[in-house]
Amino acid sequence: MTGTAPKIADRKKVPVYCYQCVAGPDLMKVEVEDGIATRIESNYDIADRHPGGGRVCVKAYGLIQKTYNPNRVAQPMKRTNPKKGRDEDPGFVPISWDEALDIVAAKMRGIREQGVADEQGLPRLAASFGGGGTPTQYMGTFPAFLSAWGPVDLGFGGGQGVKCYHSEHLYGELWHRAFIVSPDTPYCNYVINCGNNVEASGGVAGVWRQADARVRGLKRVQVEPHLSITGAMSAEWLPIRPKTDAAFLFALIHRILIERDWREVCDFEFISNDTTSPYLVGPNGYYLREPETGKPLVRDLADGRDKPFDGAIAEPALEGAYRVPGIEKGPDGAVWTHDDAEARPAFQLLLDHVRGFTPEWAEAECDVPAERIRRVADEYLAHALVGETIEIEGRTLPFRPVAVMLGKGVNNGWGGYQTCWARTLLAALVGALEVPGGTLGTAVKLNRPAYNRHLTVRSQGDGIMDYPFNPTTREDWSAKPHIRNAYRTLVPLAADSAWSPALGPAHLPWLFQKKLPDAWPEQAKPAMWINYRTNPAISSWNAPEVAERIAEFPFTVSFAYTRDETNHMADILLPEATDLESLQLIQIGSTKFTEQFWTHQGWAVRQPVADPVVDCRDITWIATELARRVGILEGYNAAINRGAAGARLADEKAGYDFSLDVAEPHPVEAVWDAVAKAASHDLTGGEEVHGIDWFRENGFMLRPFPQLDWYLYPTLKEQGLRFEMPYQERLMRHGAELAERLHEIGVNWWDRQLDEYEPLPGYKPFPDIWANFASEVGEDPDSYPLWALTARSMQYSWGANVGIPLINEVANNIAGHKGVIVNRATARKLGIADGDRVAIESPTGITRGRAVLREGIRPDTVLMIGQFDHWATPFAKDLDLPSLNSLTALSLSLTDGTGSGADLARVRLSRDAG
Amino acid sequence: MSPRYGMVVDLNRCVGCQTCAIACKHANDTPPGVQWRRVLDVERGTYPDVERLFLVTGCQHCAEPPCVPVCPTGATRQRADGLVTMDYDTCIGCGYCAVACPYQARTIAHDTGWYYGEPTAQEARVAHDERVGVANKCTFCVERVDEAAALGLTPGVDLEYTPACAASCIAQALHFGDFADPDSNVSRLASDNASFQMHAELGTDPQIRYLYDVPNATPGRPAEAADTSDAAMSDSENPLVGPRQTFWDARAAMNFTLGGLSGGAMAVAGLAALFGMLGAEALVEIYLVAAVLMAAGLFFVFLEIGRKLRFLYVLLRPQSSWMTRETYAVAVLYPALALDVLWPHPALHAAVALAGAAFLYCQARILFAGKGIPAWRAPSMPWLIALSGLLEGAGAVAFLIKVMGTGAAAGAAWAIVALSLATGVLWQRYRRTAAARGIGPLARAEIDAVAPLVTVFGHAAPALLCLAGLAIAGPLSAWAIGLGGVLAVAGGALWKFTVITRASHQQGFAVPMMPTRGSGTRAAPPRLEPI
Repeated sequence: MTGTAPKIADRKKVPVYCYQCVAGPDLMKVEVEDGIATRIESNYDIADRHPGGGRVCVKAYGLIQKTYNPNRVAQPMKRTNPKKGRDEDPGFVPISWDEALDIVAAKMRGIREQGVADEQGLPRLAASFGGGGTPTQYMGTFPAFLSAWGPVDLGFGGGQGVKCYHSEHLYGELWHRAFIVSPDTPYCNYVINCGNNVEASGGVAGVWRQADARVRGLKRVQVEPHLSITGAMSAEWLPIRPKTDAAFLFALIHRILIERDWREVCDFEFISNDTTSPYLVGPNGYYLREPETGKPLVRDLADGRDKPFDGAIAEPALEGAYRVPGIEKGPDGAVWTHDDAEARPAFQLLLDHVRGFTPEWAEAECDVPAERIRRVADEYLAHALVGETIEIEGRTLPFRPVAVMLGKGVNNGWGGYQTCWARTLLAALVGALEVPGGTLGTAVKLNRPAYNRHLTVRSQGDGIMDYPFNPTTREDWSAKPHIRNAYRTLVPLAADSAWSPALGPAHLPWLFQKKLPDAWPEQAKPAMWINYRTNPAISSWNAPEVAERIAEFPFTVSFAYTRDETNHMADILLPEATDLESLQLIQIGSTKFTEQFWTHQGWAVRQPVADPVVDCRDITWIATELARRVGILEGYNAAINRGAAGARLADEKAGYDFSLDVAEPHPVEAVWDAVAKAASHDLTGGEEVHGIDWFRENGFMLRPFPQLDWYLYPTLKEQGLRFEMPYQERLMRHGAELAERLHEIGVNWWDRQLDEYEPLPGYKPFPDIWANFASEVGEDPDSYPLWALTARSMQYSWGANVGIPLINEVANNIAGHKGVIVNRATARKLGIADGDRVAIESPTGITRGRAVLREGIRPDTVLMIGQFDHWATPFAKDLDLPSLNSLTALSLSLTDGTGSGADLARVRLSRDAG
Repeated sequence: MSPRYGMVVDLNRCVGCQTCAIACKHANDTPPGVQWRRVLDVERGTYPDVERLFLVTGCQHCAEPPCVPVCPTGATRQRADGLVTMDYDTCIGCGYCAVACPYQARTIAHDTGWYYGEPTAQEARVAHDERVGVANKCTFCVERVDEAAALGLTPGVDLEYTPACAASCIAQALHFGDFADPDSNVSRLASDNASFQMHAELGTDPQIRYLYDVPNATPGRPAEAADTSDAAMSDSENPLVGPRQTFWDARAAMNFTLGGLSGGAMAVAGLAALFGMLGAEALVEIYLVAAVLMAAGLFFVFLEIGRKLRFLYVLLRPQSSWMTRETYAVAVLYPALALDVLWPHPALHAAVALAGAAFLYCQARILFAGKGIPAWRAPSMPWLIALSGLLEGAGAVAFLIKVMGTGAAAGAAWAIVALSLATGVLWQRYRRTAAARGIGPLARAEIDAVAPLVTVFGHAAPALLCLAGLAIAGPLSAWAIGLGGVLAVAGGALWKFTVITRASHQQGFAVPMMPTRGSGTRAAPPRLEPI
């Protein structure tokens, strides 16, 4: 043909959304000619309301090729080789949808007859989903199926714990309802960024807002071992030694509190009145409380009296030591009564705590010159503008345009508590927490209700926010894991929301399946494992070992796009309709992930845009069919009516009822038509009610979302609450109780993790933990002299894009996509030239690829972008790219108290002889 | 007033995400490996003093586009609004525009190519057969610009009617608009900020302006140019280093070699005949051999072009293209030569000599107009081609005289001596000034590798052998001169093949001003005086 496309105005463009990564959704339009999806462009209709100008990023453009990929699984498949393993040919043979669903449903009915939980009380059905909640943006009504089913073990991880902002999720929600923490980029002027690669991971909104901030004058100091995309875009790069960020941050705090006059440079009012800094701490380390009310006491310097925190305190003491009567409430109901105890304000303890963290001490630890640490701290203070205010939507708020960002490798695993605490404290010291310009949370996933972080702000009684800790008291502790990763049992901070199973140490099931630790209940493998949009055999830490565990599962159902390393072990492959082939309505807007701060909220549609390419089915159809065949249709429809598809279909108070007849299976269109009507009714208070056809035509529907809701500070002020900084009394109590509980049942293998429950986190030489790990597996630590790290590939990440040559083509324009990045001088010493094939070995694994020599990386560090090392995924398996996931170890000693690890390993590098 | 469309690229915004590159591929249906919009990952400095930036490249729609005048067919043109356009149905795929472009903006795909080996339904739907075998490049999404004009919309503002790269950019780093309108988005950005044009010194007046400065709020250190030291430019992985061109390969070199020596031979022989130094019989023999060689050279060019059936379109641009003019020289040369063979006459001798020299001169100008190749665009290049062609021609004449035994070769010998000397001097000058003329270290290494051979065997030996031949008598004399002639031809072939196929690295990209950011001593200075 001659390529004469129709005139722009005459082209058919179908609106859909892209939610291939957590930084979504972004809205786009797909151009369609004669039933074939031809091109993608941003949906400019939303340009003035989307925080990223309505654009979609590079990944969205891979969706066309993703749809027409000839390597797709074209119809349901059944395994014929009962043996499973990497080296076993599964012998998949095509079967009809009817047969495939009958096999799965029969298996499920069998499970239900046995009981949905096994003898140990563990769910017989397990399911894993891809990262960051993105699968739910594609899985239609499948959540309704799970809900109707009953208990499901959602705790087998696909890489979370190292691949997510794990510690930040937990501590962030505790301290300021921040499952994700973000600078208030549109107002911020100075960012200290420890390894957060926001320019590659923050999505469209992140890149858009950061670029605006940069040309507006925001200065960002990037602290990281290699010069990432974000480092490239920063005013300054400080190449820090891996895993020593806590030392750097502690030294900043030392500079501010000890070397500078903190009364002059910090936000004294905020520290005094909006944090727990003045709370008096008793000799046992718990708040000293008024015996009658149990309220923590504060010394009022104005009259020298000790008053409950919510009393009329004119001048709360932050420093000093006082003799005070009161009680301390310890673990397990212990109460210490003092007639005359020595008590210090928490802030005094903080001052004592950070006295030793001098910049010189930090320099030796983290390799950042002391003078630069001092300068960064001073610049931070200068930019904090303590005392200034700004008007947002008619309300005057503090204006503190400074923030600290943390990357995944920084806030995860050992040291995560320290860095998260230090970051939050740095904000609190200058009053930059949850105020314009400062450090904000974007969404809640552990606190409830999940749709509004402000409604989660409730008093706990001590003048701070409540938090849904998993109980650690003797009466309420969950001694026996209810799912295999035992988050309720081991991690009080993981809470118990729908997200908790995925957060709780999600690598433990793989580890325990290999070898059960002492004094731990037996764990049978799930009778059925469903995996959806996830490939743990590649994406997990120690992926090769996880692949072996997957091969041991008796029956695996994989929703399959192409063949891959995980579905290589599957018994049934179900080719689900992909992004441009199925129908769904999702919520958009408000605030979420790193930089999605909207001034609108509403709903957007995804829909089939073109003629079918293979015999795949809409997941909503699959879910409905399975529910019908398994015999749980009523529960399934009821779950949809309750809101499992995103919107409650009936709300008496709001005056609408679009609920589905629970006895009947409903066509996909009918389900989403009801959701569309409920959603639009809810959005407009009934003024505009639209069915799914309207959404398919118009793409989205919005209403304003107040910018004031970006900031939690006003809500805390309204309720008279303080941020729980700096002292972590609750954590200390939970830690002590948890230690008791675990020791009572004979568990001693979590002791190191229990050490983390310190009220003020101390510094440990964190790098040694990884260095010494070699000894644990019988290797010499000195023979692994380098650090191996990873970094985000914006082009590939999350979207199952490794099999898409178009993505590969453009990604290769960015250094590191063709191999392992090595410092040029290091390579010279090792006799490695650019493009040489190299082997990278850790104490537990090996990976191979080509050397890419660069200057923007520490000489003691190598870097592998993305996640590769595929051996089954078509196209990807021929890329010859190394992967950190083949080097990292699943190990209790590398697991911190929150249940996360860090995505790094000690390695050695050599020219590949093999 | 006609608009003047162009772009502004903000280096402080671009994060190298490749969205523009892939959006361009969608909007323009380009095949595997072809990126009209490309974003490079550039690093400068040595650890820990390192900077990194992302450099947006592509057709610069130059106000003085070097690709337009060289095009022998008129397929590439410049519109009144500044857009440099491609007519795929006229282009013959000779690659001349591609070697003339100093921005590596052009590609020629000789087959369609499919991402998965076989075409998918979508690829088949959007394939562009008309673009196979012809030059391709960024069009600034010309159809959007034109449709906008028809609808009264503004490209660069109305996003659906803005070039896909700029419309898709997620950092607002790419802006498209009308530089002729002082109030346009691009004019304001260009006037409110410091900017540079890439390779402005080449006189192309490119219409992409790069912003590099940071706002006053972030005091930066003085901007410096990217590292262009020999060490940095010797790294073929450095995106600033131009790769070796692949548009003109050995087939093109064959034309320059065979055409050079045959054109030279015709000029020398015609001239010698005019002055009675060459017998009619020898003249005819030389004419016939030269004519065959020249035809062979031209046939190699025919083999090189992407659309062979359109080869006659090469005649369409005599007003500016030296490739067209070369063809016209051929059109004059062959009839003159035929007439001179049939009815020898001093006027025809002169005509053949002139046409041969003209052909040679066209070749000299053809290579020199390849502005995208620093080794070709050196000022001494046209002289070198011309003189070397005459030397090779004289060498061929001397050799043929010996082989045919048709007379004394003294005249040819003296010509070889003189031309060897002149060519040798010019060759040395070309080499000596190579670095100063912007020829990169990789290309220079190729030239240096053959330089001793060229000097010794291509220049010194022919001169010495001819002097020896002139000094001695007997059969050895003709042998020495004939051998000298052969070496002169071989020397010419050697350096031409080297310069055209080996030292032909394209002009790399330049960043005359790195944005003010980095690490170590290259970090932006503190905003504060020490406390």
